[in-house]
Amino acid sequence: MTVRRKPVDFAERILRGPVLWACLAALAAFALGPFIWMLLTSLKDRQELYATPLQYLPIHPTFENYVDAWTSPVTPFSRFFLNSLWVCSLTMVATTVVSVLAGYAIARFRFAGRDALLLIFLVTQMFPSVLLIAPLLTQWRALGLIDTYQALIYSNFSFTVPFTVWMMVGYFSSIPRDLEESAMIDGCNQFGALCRVVLPLAAPGIAATAIFAFVVSWSELLFAISFTTQTDMRTLSAGLLYMVGQYEVQWGPLSAGVIMSTVPVAILFTFLQRHLIHGLTAGAVKG
Amino acid sequence: MTTFSVAVGRPSARPLLSWRVRRLLVGYAYLVPAALCLLATVVLPIGMAIKMSLYNDVLYKPQDYQFVWFANYVRLVQDPVFWLTLWNSVVWVFGSVVLQFFAGFASALLLHESFVGRSLVRTVTLLPWIIPGVVVGLIWEWLYQPNYGVINDLLFRIGLLHDRVAWLSNPDLAMPAVVFTNVWRGIPFFAIMLLAGLQSIPDELYEAARVDGAGVLARFWHITLPLLRPIIVVAVATRIIWTFNYADLIFVMTNGGPANATQITSTYTLLQAYSSLDFGYAAALSVVLLVVMLVFTAFFLRVTRGVEEI
Repeated sequence: MTVRRKPVDFAERILRGPVLWACLAALAAFALGPFIWMLLTSLKDRQELYATPLQYLPIHPTFENYVDAWTSPVTPFSRFFLNSLWVCSLTMVATTVVSVLAGYAIARFRFAGRDALLLIFLVTQMFPSVLLIAPLLTQWRALGLIDTYQALIYSNFSFTVPFTVWMMVGYFSSIPRDLEESAMIDGCNQFGALCRVVLPLAAPGIAATAIFAFVVSWSELLFAISFTTQTDMRTLSAGLLYMVGQYEVQWGPLSAGVIMSTVPVAILFTFLQRHLIHGLTAGAVKG
Repeated sequence: MTTFSVAVGRPSARPLLSWRVRRLLVGYAYLVPAALCLLATVVLPIGMAIKMSLYNDVLYKPQDYQFVWFANYVRLVQDPVFWLTLWNSVVWVFGSVVLQFFAGFASALLLHESFVGRSLVRTVTLLPWIIPGVVVGLIWEWLYQPNYGVINDLLFRIGLLHDRVAWLSNPDLAMPAVVFTNVWRGIPFFAIMLLAGLQSIPDELYEAARVDGAGVLARFWHITLPLLRPIIVVAVATRIIWTFNYADLIFVMTNGGPANATQITSTYTLLQAYSSLDFGYAAALSVVLLVVMLVFTAFFLRVTRGVEEI
């Protein structure tokens, strides 16, 4: 980004000056406000939480809610967290391997139906996930996979794979073909060239794709509540919903849970911003 | 197998398949895992959903399981709630996307300016979009809470409200409330899409227009808008589809209530599957969702054929 020249006309000077700053402040406040309120809530004890009139700042900040949520035997948040971590990590690894291979094939080999295939990957991204729930439930039940991590991981493929393949095609297409060709002349086979030449070059893109698969699986809710019945198998999203359904909503621990489930994806996503643009403009990001 | 045809003195036999064919086979082999994934988790389930929609398939009445042709679809056409949900979907999609678009566009223009701490502000404004839908729903449920919610309290303090408002349980306010939440969540999507578009417009165009005496508005109207058109079309179209299919937020916040005031077609499908356990009817509903989405996508691809490759 180049630094622009100093604004010249009057309207522009007003727009660039106080108006710009006021709007930016409003924008940031609007985006962040709800999080800050949730964070404040999570630091209050029960008395401050349900005080009338409303008490905005916690006078005696406490981490009790976090401890409660994490260790509660009825809604074991630590267990939900680990489930999510496990399901999302495996989804991420499997998705990445599958989409690296497919993305490479689509980017490098000219075969019949290549464009049609790309279009299919794009269109499947747009399928409503409610459409898949009933049939997948029947399918997993027939295979005895209800309440297993496998069911959740396989189901996640339905939305991660089409997108990540699309993203990988973009990354591989941007790597010059000559490099692999010279590697193959030097005695590599196709697979060797992929592993030794292409993959290292595409590494940043692959990492971004992998993180993205992780983040979207982290948000997944409907499959998680459909294909698990035991509390122990719930992921974070499903677990948070379960905390609401349990009894009268305990906003203290719940807000702590909300903050804890937000932080990991927020951190991961700050690394991703740049890489997202390609996928976004391809129209293939779910969210 | 003879080797006489091989020109170079290679001792090995001539491969059964030519280099070209082998290369192609390797290519197909690379595609197999992805194809299997899609087959098992998307293609087969969709086939199954279509089949399910032709059966009377209520989970707790297995004795009534039978092929009923299009009975589920007939029921759907006669179901007033279905038409209500379709209308609600239109309100939900239209309200969300229009507001997200304008707010997102404004944010993109703001974030395109150069100022100190720009990357920080960009990250911050992106946050609402990346967090799980459940989390968004819960945060806003708490903000809207009638007695302890901060929205009521703030409106109270500045004198706009005199009574506590139950945002999510009032049939007139529930839809605007969930739409507003969805707008909050979707603004960053438009903001980063359009920001990417803005960054791809060369500065020289603006410089030239400035030299010719074009003001801020003229430059916006004659340079920014026309050049952003392709990305706007893509962003709006994909957003419409997602919003139409998106069930998480309403499912968490109101579950379609009160009295179906926020019931959109996708949450109605969930309701039929989870609460009524009527998989046949739910499948018919989801097939309708699929058809609507396919028609829209086909239309969208037709329109954008000229503006692809952005």
